[in-house]
Amino acid sequence: MGKLAELTFWTATFAGGMRLATPLIFASLGETIAQRAGVLNIGLEGFMIIGALTSLYVTVESGIAVGLLAGALAGAALALLMVLLCVRLNANQVVVGFGLTILGVGLTGYIFRLTTPLGGERRQVNILGEIHIPGLSDIPFLGEAFLSNSWMTWLALGLVPIVWWLAQRTVFGLEVRAVGEDPDAAFARGVNVIRVRSIATLLSGLMAGLGGAAITTGLVGVFEPAITAGRGFIALIVIIMVRWSAWGVAVGSFAFGLADALGTNLRNIVSDSVPTEALQMIPFFVALVILVIGARRARMPKSLGFNYVPDR
Amino acid sequence: MSSDANPGIANEARAGDAGVGSGSISQARAAHGIGGPGPDHDNDGYAAALAFEGLGVSRAFGATQALDRVDFDLRPGEIHALVGENGAGKSTLAKIVAGTLRADSGTLRLFGEAYSPRRRSDGSAAGVAHVRQQLSLVRGLTVAQNIELGRPRRPGTTARRPWPRVFNASEARAEVERLAAELDLSVPADRIVDDLPLAVRQQAEILISLAWGARLLILDEPSSALGPLETEALITLCLRLRDEGTPIIYISHRLPELAELADRLTVLRQGRVVTAGTDVAAADLRRIAELMVGDISLLEVRRPDLELGEVRLEADGLLLAAEHGPGLRDVSLSVRAGEIVGVVGVAGNGQEELAGVLTGQLRPDAGVVRIDGTEVTGSPGAAIGAGVALLPEDRTAGLAADFTLAENLIARRVADAPFARLGVRLRAAVRRHARALAERFDVRPPEPALRAGSLSGGNQQKLMAAREMERDPAVLVAAGPTKGLDPHAGRAIRDRCFETAGRGGAVVIISADLDEVAELAQRVVVLSGGRVTDRFGVEEMTSARLGAVMAGLAWDPSGEAGRSPAGSGAPGATP
Repeated sequence: MGKLAELTFWTATFAGGMRLATPLIFASLGETIAQRAGVLNIGLEGFMIIGALTSLYVTVESGIAVGLLAGALAGAALALLMVLLCVRLNANQVVVGFGLTILGVGLTGYIFRLTTPLGGERRQVNILGEIHIPGLSDIPFLGEAFLSNSWMTWLALGLVPIVWWLAQRTVFGLEVRAVGEDPDAAFARGVNVIRVRSIATLLSGLMAGLGGAAITTGLVGVFEPAITAGRGFIALIVIIMVRWSAWGVAVGSFAFGLADALGTNLRNIVSDSVPTEALQMIPFFVALVILVIGARRARMPKSLGFNYVPDR
Repeated sequence: MSSDANPGIANEARAGDAGVGSGSISQARAAHGIGGPGPDHDNDGYAAALAFEGLGVSRAFGATQALDRVDFDLRPGEIHALVGENGAGKSTLAKIVAGTLRADSGTLRLFGEAYSPRRRSDGSAAGVAHVRQQLSLVRGLTVAQNIELGRPRRPGTTARRPWPRVFNASEARAEVERLAAELDLSVPADRIVDDLPLAVRQQAEILISLAWGARLLILDEPSSALGPLETEALITLCLRLRDEGTPIIYISHRLPELAELADRLTVLRQGRVVTAGTDVAAADLRRIAELMVGDISLLEVRRPDLELGEVRLEADGLLLAAEHGPGLRDVSLSVRAGEIVGVVGVAGNGQEELAGVLTGQLRPDAGVVRIDGTEVTGSPGAAIGAGVALLPEDRTAGLAADFTLAENLIARRVADAPFARLGVRLRAAVRRHARALAERFDVRPPEPALRAGSLSGGNQQKLMAAREMERDPAVLVAAGPTKGLDPHAGRAIRDRCFETAGRGGAVVIISADLDEVAELAQRVVVLSGGRVTDRFGVEEMTSARLGAVMAGLAWDPSGEAGRSPAGSGAPGATP
């Protein structure tokens, strides 16, 4: 137990938190846009896992750049289905979201089984290494914990101000908020509600796909069934917790990443006295507590989850 | 639409630095030859350059002819009032001018050019702004954000705008502030719309439509939810806009207000023009009020002889504050067995609240409601127990659309014999009851297993009537019971009302449809501004009297037509 007092333990845990936050940042940033536009995509888990598998398999064949793009596009393809069903045909968003989760998890598990002979080799890629920034990465603790990231993490962090800018400083951002708050009024003002919601949903799919890719191609290097392990749902919680704010998403994702890393690292220390499963529960426990406290104050977009049906 | 015909103040501001775009509305318009200095009506000179002209405009919704060959024109620099009862076709005409609806036939011209908008955005691109009763600003955003949201492209520009377009908050704010200063309004640019009072939201919407380059304004019942001071401010604003060259189509039924504001006036009744473009200064408002209401044909009534009995419904000193509208301000009413009382008035003057309070659904702030001497104030359970029945105006509130006919018909007594035993529903009994009742009340088709929502409007109303009137109610409150029904279904519902009264029920008909009230009621009560402003027997119900009291003019039986009692002389109101 003495290890808990050592700095190296905490440095490693915080650095792990940054790594584990990466998929969450991608997924929740995209979902923030969709939810602000009034589209509740609870199928995030399905989007992520399809992105995870596609990205890994394509990376094996064509390299990481194409692989990541393929992961994002796989997410977008699923989002296209969601646009068709929910935004265009007014299907219930919750039902479709659950359906897409099951579809994603089931389909990827099936493809994995088809492509992996029993007892045979799994497809594997080298995971991304950290980028060493001379000077900065060497700062004790701070540099080692926060500034020694893979470029995937830097990419996720780089998207945060972009999404913030899009939401807060552009007319598109205004339109997104308008169609999520009051689609009827937005329509009366001349906003193309269906188009804005479609774009927002596609962006969410694109980024959820990237989030999935960040898990397999970025963190683990292999795919296995159900590898997303509920991160799609955690991302949904992050959004509620930070109340649909892009900067908040970075912070909230890190909090969950940290809880996750803590669970993993504690395992090495206290595995004799505490069952591993209990430690793996930590992020979900944190999520539950935050949800109970945070959701009470949450002011969600007024038309979140409601489809827009024009009058005539 | 050529670009120089509609410069739009907004576009100047966006064209570069704010200093360049500081031209006033009047300058912007004068520079392009739009509008005149004021209501200087010289018919000859304007013939070629009307701001708007519609000829033979018709529009039907299903079997209802909402507009029937209507001619309407608007001169530059005038306020033309469009008046009429609810359902006269005013809003339909406004929507056609705005491009929201398309006319079935007729031709439109806008500022001398052929005008055939296919959708709302065509109208706003051509410079027609439609400020509706339910305002269309997005409530979660600020005024400055709303000015940019959905802003049409500069007319004549075909180049695509970049995506994403940067929202320049300080420019938008400056634009709102500059226009607000120019129009002498206090519209805060950075407040969330939801936090603003209704009057300010309305001003903000007018301001934004001007920023978007509106050169013709349609205001649909703009004063209906405003207080007297706010209405004065609105009138001042309208006159100012008119004088600076923006013609306005002003829809209202409040004649005193129109006397202050409008230059000309057109009366619609049942989709037809009754008087076209009368000069308001020379008009007799009482005559106008009479025209609005039209002829009430008492001749067709075949009212059965009803015998009056004891007082069954008694309401005394009802007081209720409402969030919108006037609520109820000291309303008293008593209805005897076998009596049908009609409550008339323009919608939004306390009718909904009255129906709610009389049936126990709403608890008044003061006053009592008694049925057969038992107090039922504010208690739906007690009211139903005492035998109250309600036909609400909104049928979706009176029926469960997704439930079957049979289920709807036992909604009042689900757990009672013979429909249930020991908590288990007896399906056969429910079905038998439904079929018998549906046949008796002529619900078509009388199919117990059908979803209530799949019936036509008239049959839904009959279904609701069947449930409510099945067991002779002590008191029946019916709000607009035949609204939107075809004559046959309407006839059936009216007969049911007579039947209820004939069996000793007290009936209250709350309606804006005067023909309906004239046919059903023996006594008429006028509700205006939450007060009972007049009471009389149906035989004294004349168009003149009703029109006057409903339009807010004092009724003076001597017939001397006094002008606007509320007039307080805004500048330039009555030239």
